[in-house]
Parts: sequence; C-alpha cells; structure tokens
Amino acid sequence: MTHVATLQDPLEEVAPPRGRSGAAAWTIWLLRRLGLALLTLWLVSVLVFLATAALGDPVRAILGRDYNSNPGRVAQLEAQLNADQGLVSRYFSWLGGLLTGDPGTSLANQQSVWDQISDSVVNTLVLVFLSSLVMIPVAFGIAMISANYRRRRPDTWIQTVLLALAGIPEFVIGILLVFVFSTSVFHIFPAVTIVSPTGGPPWESAKGMVLPIACLVLAVVPYVSRIVRASLLEVLDSDYVELARLKGIPEPVVMRKHALLNAIVPGIQVIALQLAWLAGGVVLVETLFAYPGVGRQLVDSVRNHDVPMVQALAMIIAAFYIVVNLVADIISILLTPRARTAISS
Amino acid sequence: MNKNSRRSPALSRRQLLKYSGLGIAAVGGSSFLAACGGDDGGGGGGGGGGEQHSGGILIHGATGGGSKDTLDPHAPVTSADISRVNNLYEPLLFWNNDYQIEPALAESVESKDSVTWTVKMRPGVTFHNGKTVTADDAWFSIKRFADPKAPLSGGGQLSQIIDFQSSKVVDETTLQLVLNTPYAILDSLLAEYTTGIIPTDFDLAKPVGTGAFAYKSFEPGKTSSFTKYADYWGDAAFVDELQIQDFDNDNAKVNALQAGQVQTIDNLPYNLVDTIKGAGGGVLVAEGGQWVPFTMRVDQAPFNDVKVRQAMRLIVDRQAMIDQVLSGYGSLGNDLYAPLDPAYASDLPQREQDIDQAKSLLSQAGQEGLQVELFTGDDIPGNAPAAANLFVEQAKKAGVEVKVTKKTPFYDDNYLSYTFAQDFWNTRNYIPQAVVGTFPPDQGGTYNETHWDNADHRDLVNAAAKELDEAKRSDLLHQAQEIEYNEGGLIIWGFRQQVDGYGANVQGLEPSKYLPLGNYKFNKVSV
Repeated sequence: MTHVATLQDPLEEVAPPRGRSGAAAWTIWLLRRLGLALLTLWLVSVLVFLATAALGDPVRAILGRDYNSNPGRVAQLEAQLNADQGLVSRYFSWLGGLLTGDPGTSLANQQSVWDQISDSVVNTLVLVFLSSLVMIPVAFGIAMISANYRRRRPDTWIQTVLLALAGIPEFVIGILLVFVFSTSVFHIFPAVTIVSPTGGPPWESAKGMVLPIACLVLAVVPYVSRIVRASLLEVLDSDYVELARLKGIPEPVVMRKHALLNAIVPGIQVIALQLAWLAGGVVLVETLFAYPGVGRQLVDSVRNHDVPMVQALAMIIAAFYIVVNLVADIISILLTPRARTAISS
Repeated sequence: MNKNSRRSPALSRRQLLKYSGLGIAAVGGSSFLAACGGDDGGGGGGGGGGEQHSGGILIHGATGGGSKDTLDPHAPVTSADISRVNNLYEPLLFWNNDYQIEPALAESVESKDSVTWTVKMRPGVTFHNGKTVTADDAWFSIKRFADPKAPLSGGGQLSQIIDFQSSKVVDETTLQLVLNTPYAILDSLLAEYTTGIIPTDFDLAKPVGTGAFAYKSFEPGKTSSFTKYADYWGDAAFVDELQIQDFDNDNAKVNALQAGQVQTIDNLPYNLVDTIKGAGGGVLVAEGGQWVPFTMRVDQAPFNDVKVRQAMRLIVDRQAMIDQVLSGYGSLGNDLYAPLDPAYASDLPQREQDIDQAKSLLSQAGQEGLQVELFTGDDIPGNAPAAANLFVEQAKKAGVEVKVTKKTPFYDDNYLSYTFAQDFWNTRNYIPQAVVGTFPPDQGGTYNETHWDNADHRDLVNAAAKELDEAKRSDLLHQAQEIEYNEGGLIIWGFRQQVDGYGANVQGLEPSKYLPLGNYKFNKVSV
C-alpha cells in the first residue's frame, strides 16, 4: 500500500500569527497563500518561455519542406515572432500580453490565441467538473463499502476490480466503452463528440458526454477510492472510534460521523491532484472521443510548433493545477480542526 | 510539492502513457476493432444505384486538421482543408474522376504557340454573393496564388512562367496569359484544386467562391459548415447542408462512421475495411497515383555508381511491398512516376525482384556486403516506416545491410540531403513532377531528393513542355522516362489506392483517380 502515506501536517506550513482577530488572521493567511500561488505561476511562466524558446526554429518547423521555396512567408513569420529581438525583451512583451489578457496571435492560422483556446478551456473544465460530480460520490461510496467489509469477500472483490481498473490505461477503457455502447454491441451513445457548427458547446448533446465522462470516472475512481479506504481503515482502528463503538453508537453513524469526516482530508488532496491531471492530461481520452478540449489542442499546437498557443495553454494548465491545489488546501484546513484553530487563534 | 511525490508511481505510469500512448492507442484500437468487426458479415449497402433523395445534412469526417486549418483557396494543407476548398471554390479547369482535364469556370484554355494562352470564361457563373464571375476575378486569383514573391501551394511553377507584364484581361470573359517560356501543358496547372477562382474583393473571413456549397461557419481544428448553393452552375447539391468535422485520430473517425455520426470519411485505414463493410457501410476504392519512393542520391557514394542503383531496384519485391505495406491496396510501380499521365511508359518491362542479378551488379561495382543507412519518419504519409523495415528484410537476401533511422520530424533541415531516404508524392503528371522532383533547384527542382542532374533528360522534358502536338510530346516523354527507368535514383515500388468509407444510406459516390471520395464533390452525394 504505497498510497497510504500521511498528509503533510498543515500545521507545519502555517505559522499561527498571535494576537490578532480571527478574520484578520484568515485574511493574512489567504493572502500569503495567494502570493505564493502567484510566485509559482511566475516561475512557471519563465520555465514555459525558456522551454518553448529552446524548441528550435519554429518557422522552419511550420513551413516544413516549403521552407526553402517560400522566402516571403518565412519573413512574415519571423516578423511575427519578433525573431530579431533579444530573449529577455521577448519574454517581457509576452508576459505583458498575458497580464493584459492578450496572449498573442497563433502562428499556425493568424487568429487570436485567446479566441481559439477559450472554448477548449471551457469545454475541458465542464468535462472535468461533470466527471468529478460523478467521481467523488462514487469513489467515497466504494471506499466506505470496502472499509465496512474490510478484508472480507466484498472488500476483496472491490479491491481486485479497482486494481484491475487502475492497471488498464484509460484509452483502453475508452475503446471498450465505445465498442460496447456505440459501435458494435449496442448503439446507445454516440461514439465521438460532433461539434455543432452553429457554435453550440459539445455538452449541448447530453448523450455525447456520457462515454467520455464514464471513461474518466473509471480511470480516476480506483485511485481516490483506494486512498480513502486506506485512511478510513486507519481511522476505524483508532481509539476514539473504538470508544464510540463501545458507547453503543450504531455502526453507520460511526462510519459517517466519526470515521469519514476524519478520513476525508487525504481524499480531498488526491481528488485535487486527479482533477488537475484530468485538466491537462486527458489527451488520450479527448482524442479518442474527438472531444474539443485543451489536451487535444495542446498536442495539435505542439505538432504545429505554434509557440504562442503552446505557451498560453501551458500557462492555463499550470494555473489550473495551482488553483485546484490551493482550493484543496483551504478545504483541508477547514476540515481539520487543529489547523483551523491554529490559524484563527 | 511533496504531495506530488506521494503519487509518483501512478504519475509516472500516466506520463509514460501520455507521451507514448497515442501510437499504441491507434494500433491497439485498430486491430481490436478489426478483429471484432469481421464476425458480422453481410455486404455493403448504398453507393450504388437507386433514386437519390434531396435534403438532409451530410457530415463528412475529415482526416487530420487542427488549428492550422484554413479556408484559403490557395493554401490547403490537410485532407480536411482539401475537402473544404473543393466544395467552396473551383479552378478554371478540373481533373475529372479519370484524371482527364475538364472545363470548369473556363470554357476553354487554348494556345497556338504555347506562349500566348487565351482563357475564355464560362458565362453566367456567379459567386455565392451573386456577383458574376469575370476574367478580372480569374486574373486576380492567378496573381494571388502565383505571386512571384510568395507563391501559394498551386502557384509554384506558374509564378515562374507567367509574364505578369504582358498578360492582360481582354474583356469581361477573356483573359490572355502570356508566358515567358513556351509551356504546352499550362492547362494542367490551372486544373489543380489549389487554383480556385475567387472574386477581386475576396475576404478570407467571409470566403466567397463558386462551388456547390457556400460558406456558413468555420472553427479551425473542429468543424465547418456549408449551405447548398442553389444557383450553382453545375449540378446543384442534393443535401441542404454540408458539415466537415476534423478527426485527428483514425479510431475516432471510424467509430463515428460506425455509430452513424458521420456519413463519409476519407482515408479509411486498410485494416478497418472489413469492419466498415461488416457494419453495413460501404468502402470506396479508387486507383491513384500516390507513391512513397526510396530516394537514392545519385551524386554520393555508393549510389553515384549506376550499377548500385540498378541493384537496389532489383532487390525490391514490389508485390510484397504492396501486400504488406498497403494491405494489397496498390498497383505495381516500375520506378517511374505519373502512372495516370497519358504518356506513361507502360510498355517498359515490369521490373521484378532479381536477387542474383542484384548481387552480380553489386560485385561488378565492388560493393559486396554494402551497408547503407535509410532515413524515414512517421510524418511521411503512406506508411513509409513499414516499407523501410520491409526493405531491410529484402535487402538482406542480396547481402546488403540496411540500417533504418527514424527521424522525428523527417521534414526538417536535413530533408533533401540524405543519401538514402523516403518521400511522399501525390498524383501529378510527368512534366510537372519531373521538374519539381528531378531538376536542379535553380531550374524548379524544389524537391529533388536524388540530386539527379541529367542534361539529356532535362532537355527532353523541356522540349516536351513546349510541344503542343500530343503524339510528339508523348514520344519525347517516353525517351525521358527510359533514361530514368535505366539510371534514375528513385525506387518506385507501387502506387497507393485510395480507400474511403461511407455510411449505409449514402448514394452517389464514384471513385476518382484524383482526390478521395470522388474529388470531394459532395454535391453528387445524397444521404
């Protein structure tokens, strides 16, 4: 059980300020966390810029074998990239653009980067949000059932299935789902997302969302479930749960009130990581279902050597990671009485 | 950040999949589907006779596409782009399904001396905005795609031969093109799909053409839609609306066809042909002229010795290449390109594998136990790496050791400098192909992979390009092909057949030698 590791004690990162009111203490703490998040984001922007600048000559990559035969286009693209300016001044003009909401113009099609990625960002967020709506209750439910039947037959069955699911790559799950539910066995759900040319979002057709969401849920539930089960078991073995049982509190209440609430924090942390992974890493699932999201666009942009697009998408994915982790930390602290009082006292 | 380290085993597995999985997904998924689809049996429906019904929406699943997508009539890149420009715009002339030139927006393109050409516009043709097509529009379009400073896809050669000072619009329906060198097959350049005619006030944001479908919406990398153009000068479309969806993944594309979400797809993977047939769909197979040659640099050892080149050509088992690389969907190549050209030298004996002869040629050249490095890459279309690996096996029999090096990307700075490599070519007739592929770069040979520089051959091709008499031109081209057949640096083992798929209710599709899905002429298709 390598997954069973204790969460870093939130007390360690928070030095409790003394002698201030609770609200002020909370504000200061929050501001500090936000500041740290912004600092991280800035470091990411430096890394992203350096990495994309080191990719080689994008103009040559874009034009491929037409590079030598079309000097006019070469000059045009080089002008657009400000290839004559130094690295540092290019970085600052790019950063300035990001801050003012203008991440530049795509090299591949000369359209605004923001216009192109805003839709995919929303699409991916919706996919991730809907998946988590399904995934969180399912994962916790399974973990509770599993912990309840600890080391008895239902638990063994559940753990075997979860391990198997965790071992199957998500695109294989996706292929199986499509095979069973849309092409060969049944014809219940659409196999791919057909983007409506009238500009409607892909979730307009609810049926089309079922298989991608199912695929993501099946890919993520095993991890979350196993972590929650492990921490539930730990809590269930603790003295205060034992005491609650001895006092005659019914087992469902013990599970819900005494055990689950105390075991929830590691679950929140692993959910945050999974959600962040979903936002940036669902390339395979998006590709399989032709879902117009961030992952597919990133792959396409990398293939096109479309530097402004890659930079903008990388920044958005990084921002999502940071925000999700921040939110998870806040929720964790709110759910951990010790940490809560440490901040506000 | 220590939260991440806790999950590092899982993350690394995921990352591994993220970076290596796409290929596996495609391969694994394809064979899985193929294996399961064969059981259903049953024949294909549709595509054949029967009454065609008007109305409805045709959704075409296009291969490839991405944020690079464009509606530019003169710079289409992917299959998705090509399918769009073929329905929005039309050139002056057009290749028909048999790869013969037919008049389109021009009634005629004629010349007496192959220098001065008269283009007569078809009267009464209107753009989607109602404006009548005139010679001004044609001249504007030609100047756009054949701009000598920055020629677009279709204008590379035109930009060099048109005399822009002397050419002029004579009247509303007549355009006079003057060339700076005699060129007898100008009509074939004006028949390419990349030379569509657009109005003088063309705006790419609201593109207007003369095709059977008019622009409605466009999202790069995702989808585009077009409405039937009722005043189309040819056969108006059966369907009311055409949608073209991009698919960057073959599985998604085929799944969509099987689930009935799209009605047609281009470039059906060969291993999924039975799956589509089993699901009641149809498969359109067309002869074609696409080829993936091995290219030997004739100016570098060991291939500067013609005997070595001849030996390499005798090593290839052409039928095995077609069977294994193209799943049998191909026709034999004879180390000559342009099989659809009327002047194709089909009378030259078909070259076959002859290991003994190859060995003897190699020993005459003092190259027994020859070792060569073969460069290939996944971005060469047409399953090139598979052909490279098969060639390794075939070369072993003749004692030639071939080492395959896969470049990612293949088309980088070193492209055109490899001693031994592969490349991909679409259908073209002999003269334009010979110019672009075998002439020195300063004479138009932009993609001369073999560095072939043969004055006799060049003179024959140039003479043929000036010759208006078709019989005489064929004779000159035959001589040119003989030189290449005997001494050339290309190993052309076969030509790929075009395989496309369509749904059960689709009617009106006819195979074309030029472009997939009957030249993408969706006005002929009903659903």
